[in-house]
Amino acid sequence: MKRVTAPMQQVQPMNVREAESQEAESKPRLAPVAPQARPPAEPGPIAVRKRRSRPALAGYRQLAERIFLPIMVVGLFLLVWEVLVKHFQVPLSLLPPPSYIYTRLTEVWPVLLDQAVPTTLETIASFVAASILGIVLATLLTYSRLLNSAFYPIIVFFQLIPKIALAPLFVVWVGIGAQSRIEFATFMAFFPIVVSTMTGLRATPTDMLRLCKGLTANSWQVFTLVRLPYAVPHIFSGMKIAVTLAMIGVIVAEFISAPKGLGYLIVFASSQADTALILAAILLLCMIGLTLYGVVVLLERLVTRRYG
Amino acid sequence: MSKHLDVWKVSKIYETPSGPVEAVSEASFSIREGEFVSILGPSGCGKSTLMMMMAGLEDVSEGVIIERDKEVTGPRPDVGLIFQEATLLPWVSVIDNVLFPVRILKRPRRDYEARAHELLEMVGLKDFHQHRPAQLSGGMRQRVAICRALILDPPLLMMDEPFSALDAITRDEMNVALLDIWQRHPKTGVLITHSIREAVLLSDRVLVMTRRPSTVVCDISIPFERPRDPRIVESAEFNRLCNQLRGYIESGYAADQNNRYRSAAAAVATTE
Repeated sequence: MKRVTAPMQQVQPMNVREAESQEAESKPRLAPVAPQARPPAEPGPIAVRKRRSRPALAGYRQLAERIFLPIMVVGLFLLVWEVLVKHFQVPLSLLPPPSYIYTRLTEVWPVLLDQAVPTTLETIASFVAASILGIVLATLLTYSRLLNSAFYPIIVFFQLIPKIALAPLFVVWVGIGAQSRIEFATFMAFFPIVVSTMTGLRATPTDMLRLCKGLTANSWQVFTLVRLPYAVPHIFSGMKIAVTLAMIGVIVAEFISAPKGLGYLIVFASSQADTALILAAILLLCMIGLTLYGVVVLLERLVTRRYG
Repeated sequence: MSKHLDVWKVSKIYETPSGPVEAVSEASFSIREGEFVSILGPSGCGKSTLMMMMAGLEDVSEGVIIERDKEVTGPRPDVGLIFQEATLLPWVSVIDNVLFPVRILKRPRRDYEARAHELLEMVGLKDFHQHRPAQLSGGMRQRVAICRALILDPPLLMMDEPFSALDAITRDEMNVALLDIWQRHPKTGVLITHSIREAVLLSDRVLVMTRRPSTVVCDISIPFERPRDPRIVESAEFNRLCNQLRGYIESGYAADQNNRYRSAAAAVATTE
C-alpha cells in the first residue's frame, strides 16, 4: 500500500498542473478566433490589398501562436512522458504512459460516465444553491447596515478556516448522503459570490442613485432596474470562481463519504493501485469542470448582452 | 415675474469625526420664473451641495428653501436633473434611457414616445435612438441626459457642472445647443459651473460663491437679450462681464489665503 500511495502523490500534481494549463488556455482560445478571422474575409481594392496583406498575415500568425503553440507544447509534453516512461520502464502502477491511460479510459468509459453522473449533478446543485444563497446574502448585507455589522465579520472569519478541514464534520452533522455533500460544496462555493455581488451592488454611480432619488423611485425599482443590473458583471466573476470551488467541494466530500461518484472512484482506484484509472477519472473531471465553466461563461454572455 | 425658488439663509453642516464642517453657510437668493441662473465658484465651494438641497436630495441644516409658495422637503420628479457624467444605464438603448423617468413613475410609455423622439431630434440624435450609450461620444451621451431631464417637461432644470467632463470644443458646442434648447423650451434653470464664460453666455443672472464662507457673495445680471446669439462672446461687454466676475472670484480667493474671510466678503458687498 505504502509504495503505491507515495508515488501517486508525485503523479497527481503533474496532472493537476496539466489540467490547469488546459483550462487557462481554453479561455483566450475561445475569444480571439472570431475577430481575427474577420480581416482577411473583407475583399479590398487591389491598391489597398497590398497594405492589408501584412496585418492579415500577422493575424494568422497570432492565431497560430495562440492556438497551435499551446497544443504543440501539450503534445510534446505527452510525447516526452510516453518516451521517458517506456525508456525507463516505469511500472504502470507508478506512472502509466499517456497511451495506456487512453486505453484504460476507453475500456472503462461506461463505468466512468456512470460514476460522473452523481458528481456532476451534485456540483450543479451546490453551485446553484451557492449562487442563490450568495446573491440573497449579499443583497441583505448591502441593504442593512445592521446585518452587515453583525454578520459580515463572521462570514469573513469563516473564510479563514481551511474549509476542507471541515468536510469530516459535515459527515458528523449532516450524514453521508448526497445532501451532506451538496451542503459542504455550497459552503465552499458561496463566499466569492457574496463578495463579488456586494462589490457589484455598490458599483452604481452615485449620480445615478441621485437621479433615481430625484425621480422618487422606490427601493425595489432602484434594486431591480439599476443596482442589480450594474452588479451583473461582478456577480458572474464570482460565479466563475464558485463553479470550480463547488466541484472541489463535491470531490472532497466524495473522498470521505460516498458510495458512488468520481471522487469515490479515485479513492477506490488508488486502493487497487490502478493509477491509469485515477488519471482517467481526473481527465474526465477536468472535462466536466471545463464544461460547467463554459456553461457559466455562455450564460454570462447571454445575460450581459441584455445587461452589459 | 413671480418667484420660482426662494433660498433663505440656507446652511449645510456635515458632522464629521473631526468636528462639524460647514459646506454651505447662510446662502440667500431667489430665482424668478423662467430665469436662467448660474451659480459660479471654485470647486469645493459648496455649490453642488446647494443644488442638491434645492433639488431636495439633501436636507437643509438651517434656513428654508421655498418653491412656488411650498417649502422644499424632499425630491420631486418635476425637477429635471443633469449631472457631470451623463449617468445613462449602459445596458439600455438611448430611447429607453430618455424614457427612464417615465418608467420609474409608471406612466404609460406611449404618451411620451413621440416627445422622446422629438427631443432626440432637437439635439441631433434622431438616428441614434436604438444605439447603446457606449456607442456614443461623451457629448452625445450628455445630450441624451439632457433629453432624459426634459422628457417629463419639468418647469425647473438643474444642472451640476454638466459639461465639465467634456473637451473644450464639445463644451462650446453644448453651450450653443443649450441656448437653442432654452429658446424652444423656456423654463427656470439653475446651472452649477466653474466656467465664467459659460455662466455669462447662458444665464440671465450669475451668482458667485466663495469658499470659506461658502456662500453667495454677489449677484450680477447679464443684460444680453434673448434669443441669444452665441457670437456675443466676441463682444466687449461680454469680456467686461467676465473680467468683473473673475475679479470677484479672485477677491474671494485672496480672502481665503489671507484668512480674512469676513472683511473680504464685506469688500465684495461694497463693490456691488
